[in-house]
Order: sequence, then C-alpha cells, then structure tokens
Amino acid sequence: MEGRLKDKYAIVGVGETEYSRASGRSTRALGVEAIRNAIYDAGLTPQDVDGMLSYHGGDSTPSTTMMHDLGMRLNFYMDCSGGGSSTEALVGLAIGAIEAGMCDTVAIFRAMNGYSQVRIGGTGARAAAPIGGSDLLKRTYGVASAVQNFAFTFTRHMMEYGVTGEDLAHIKVTHSKHASNNPKALMKQRVTVDDVVNSRWIVKPCAHLLDCCLETDNATCIIVTSAERAKDLRRPPAYIMAVQGRGVKPGGDFHYQYAPITRVAGHYIGPRLFELAGVTHDDIDVTGCYDAFTYTTLLQFEDYGFCEKGEGKEYVKSGITDLGGRRPNNTSGGHLCEGYTHGMNMVIENVRQIRGLVDDYCPNWENGEHSYDYAEGGCRQVPNVNITMNMGWAMPGVGSALIMRK
Amino acid sequence: MPIYDYRGMALNITELDSEYKGYFDGAMKHKLVVKKCSEMTCGMLRGEPGAACPWCGSLNWEWQEVSGKGTIYSYQVITHAIMPAFRDWVPYTVVLVELDEQSGEPNPGNGLRITANLLNDDMEPEDPENVGIGKRVEVVFLDTDEGFSVPHFRLSDEEPAGEVWRYPV
Ligand SMILES: [Zn+2]
Repeated sequence: MEGRLKDKYAIVGVGETEYSRASGRSTRALGVEAIRNAIYDAGLTPQDVDGMLSYHGGDSTPSTTMMHDLGMRLNFYMDCSGGGSSTEALVGLAIGAIEAGMCDTVAIFRAMNGYSQVRIGGTGARAAAPIGGSDLLKRTYGVASAVQNFAFTFTRHMMEYGVTGEDLAHIKVTHSKHASNNPKALMKQRVTVDDVVNSRWIVKPCAHLLDCCLETDNATCIIVTSAERAKDLRRPPAYIMAVQGRGVKPGGDFHYQYAPITRVAGHYIGPRLFELAGVTHDDIDVTGCYDAFTYTTLLQFEDYGFCEKGEGKEYVKSGITDLGGRRPNNTSGGHLCEGYTHGMNMVIENVRQIRGLVDDYCPNWENGEHSYDYAEGGCRQVPNVNITMNMGWAMPGVGSALIMRK
Repeated sequence: MPIYDYRGMALNITELDSEYKGYFDGAMKHKLVVKKCSEMTCGMLRGEPGAACPWCGSLNWEWQEVSGKGTIYSYQVITHAIMPAFRDWVPYTVVLVELDEQSGEPNPGNGLRITANLLNDDMEPEDPENVGIGKRVEVVFLDTDEGFSVPHFRLSDEEPAGEVWRYPV
C-alpha cells in the first residue's frame, strides 16, 4: 500500500561548501556556510527554520552552536551519531518531527574536515587509542578502515559471481565522466579502466586506490518542510515519495555470521520503499548509489533490484548508468570524484536534477538552459527527470533509501 | 584493569568485558573458545560472543573449547596498513574462517565465523599467494613475552573438501 505521507513533504533547499583537502577552517565555519546556503537556496531566512538534524562521528559541531551563528532559534534538534546512510534516514526523521508538531522546517547538515582533521578508519592519534569491546576482534587483526571492514563481503562476492577488478573499474570511469562536468568536483579528470586497475592496491582483491572515495573537507545541507509550505518557495520542490532509514540485515554488526554475506541491507528495505512510493524500478530516471567504494555501488544495484543478483557487473558496464544512458547514476561524480560527504551530496544532486537546475558548465544553467551535450566540460543535466532514487550505505548490513519526484 | 600490549597496540580487556575477555583468557591457555548457550533445550554455539543466545534468547552461557579447525570462508590481503602496528607486516592476510563445529546450522549458510590473521609456521604473515577460499586451516596462538596470547590461523595439511578459489592478484 502506498505511504500515508507520500508527497506530503519536500526538500526545498540544498547547499554545500567547496569540496577541498585544505579547508583551512573549522567544521563550525563549514557547517554554518552550508546551512546558510541551503536556507537561502530555499528562499527562506534562518529565522524561518526551526528544526535541525545533523550526523557525525565525533568530528562535527553541534546544532546548538550552528544556530547561534545564524541567529536562529530551534524548536527541535538532534545531533545523531552516524556516517553513511544517515542522510536519507534523517529526511525520514525530519518528516516525523514535523508530523509530531515539534517543528515546521528542518535543516539537515553534515560538516566534516574529512581530510585535514578526522580521516576515515582511525589514523593518527586514534590509531594509538586503547582497543576494547568488539574492536578487539577486528583492530587486533589489523582491520580498521571502512574497506577493510567490508572486504570479506566484497571478496566473497567476487568469488560467487565472477566479478573482476576491470568490472568494478567501470563504476569509477562512469562517475569520473560525470565529475568532469561538475565545476565543484574535487577530482574532475576522466579516468580509464586501466587507470583504475593500475592504481596501487589498498586491499586485494577488491579495492585499488581509485576504487576508493576521496576523503574531503566539506559541509552539506538540505532543508525539509511540508508540501504546503513548499508551494511558494524559491525553487521547485523535490517531493518525498518514500523513505527508508537505516534498515539492517540479520546479525547487524555481525552479519557475516549469517548467510549470505554478499547480501546487503537494500534487499530488505527496497521492497518496502517501492511499495510506499507506488513506483517500480522502471519509473526511476536517475539514481544516487553510495560509492564509498566501487563495490558498494555494485552490491546495492543488485540488492535494490535494478538488476538480478550477480548481474551488477553487467549493469555497470552497460552504459545504463552513464549520462545519456537509461538511468544515470551519481551524476555529480559522487563520493569517488565529487567528494566524500557521507551521502548528502548524492541527495543534493538528485534535488538539482529534479529541478532541472544542475550546476554544470552550461552558461545559463541557472535559467534551466542545458545543452545535454555530455562531452567533457559540458552538461550533466538529465532531460525530463521525474523520479529519482538514493541508496545510502553505512556497511553491508545497514542502509537507507529515498525516492523523490518532481 | 589489564591493558595488554600486543604489537605495540594497547588492548583494553577489562573485568567488565563479558563478551571478549574469555576469548583471550582461553587463548592464554592455548584454547580457542566460543560461547555456548547453557539452555538444555538449545545449546547452540555462537561465533560472535554476544550477551544472549540469538537462537533462543537465553542469557545463560558458558565458554566452550572448539577444535580450532575450519575452512577459509573469505579473505583480504591488506597492502596499505593504516594502523602503525601492522606496517612491518604488510602485505598481511586477514581470513574469515568458518569453524567445523555447527557449520550450516541451524540454517543453511550459518556458521561460526572467526576473524584472524593467516600466519606461517614462523608466526609471520603467510605468503598472500597461498590464501584461498575453501582451504583448510587450524588455530595457532601468537604469544607475547608478557604471557598474553592472540588466536590466529595457519594453513593445515588437510585436503580441501571442495574447490579452492583465490583471485589471481
Ligand atoms: Zn540458546
């Protein structure tokens, strides 16, 4: 049955800072800029926003600080612990907070000096911190980073379904083409399959350097409000058809004790999402599929049902996911090329696709004028976008998803 | 409150650690142990030493020694160590080993799966070219000078039951 809240809420503002590896400032300064950009993008003032949600891994600045700098007063806020797949989940929680009458309009932000301050996986001072709890059975064996934590799933999938490094490289190649048409992207150079498979190994056999995302300094923000409130704002709303937040597969953190370890959370929450939205895969025009590593993208396409299990390697090589293809993926370049944001940039990009206002190299994109010429340094607007889908990843066992429409 | 030094890392294994302390207490006696549900009607082992039985919900458990024999279920070869403790081991292999006990129970695909490094007879990282899904392994214990010990695996002489797979890189 379709969801009771389908199309009743919308994303009305999006904003970010520069993506860099040397922000030269605090997460507070980054976050304030991104929140401000998103609020003004919506045509609102900071005083019009009375709710705030953020996610962090101990590497951000609280909402109660951000609101001060922007002269806001909040009726509701939560700063949640979490990384990837938090964006979509918090869109759902924002809707819940508004439905409960706790606030009317929510800013969701992520602020991180992901390269110059707190890097993924516990390097630097964190590498010397005492190891306790469930880390005793991981870090003691030299398993600390994200890809090291995911690698048993990736390697086993390579065996069961015959995936090669060359197959995976196509995901990076596609996203690099998209990033070459994104002035904001941290890495705009187009790469080849050879570039990827000849880059140095990080974890054999599933991740070369270019299979891994770009640790980035940045902040990002989206504004969620009711469809009623969205009607007279500055930008066309991106209506929220359905959302699923941080669904978990059996076993949770210890999913590898249960079978199959190659199955990811999308298998469980995908059917719920499509039913609530009342659409099918054929209705989706653009996807944003979390690319912390090339492999996270491939696994999610399979388990959300964009192809059969084991057919992901064909799907990502088919051209379907390229600009100009049937269903382009990560048109901003995603985490692999635009910058690592823990998922927010892929939702921001889909909002811009729905608006027809993608910020590419077309001189008059702000008026919605696009060439639809996807050559390097050109356009990245997909024509006639009606419905988009985001697939957020935390780990093999945990994910979130979001369907939006024009 | 014991903090053990292992390869320069500080392992904080406290009296309150009802999940993992027994695992290392067992290792110091050169026993590989898992938790066993104490419920007479259940008695299931569990690879992750959690606080309750995932199969029947019982809070009662005891440590149970297992054979330490198993089969490599998945693997990774880490060529870029982000932890300083592992820089002199690169490239090192981490294996997910399915123990012989309770394989495929209670449902197909379930098993007791233990993470550890794959070592050679010199207790150094095994040559990564020798790892393979399906290969047979047995537990070994890497002792420190202070009497602490960590369970690992090494390749055994047993023939694999089925095909062995390794990605050729
Ligand atoms: Zn039990």
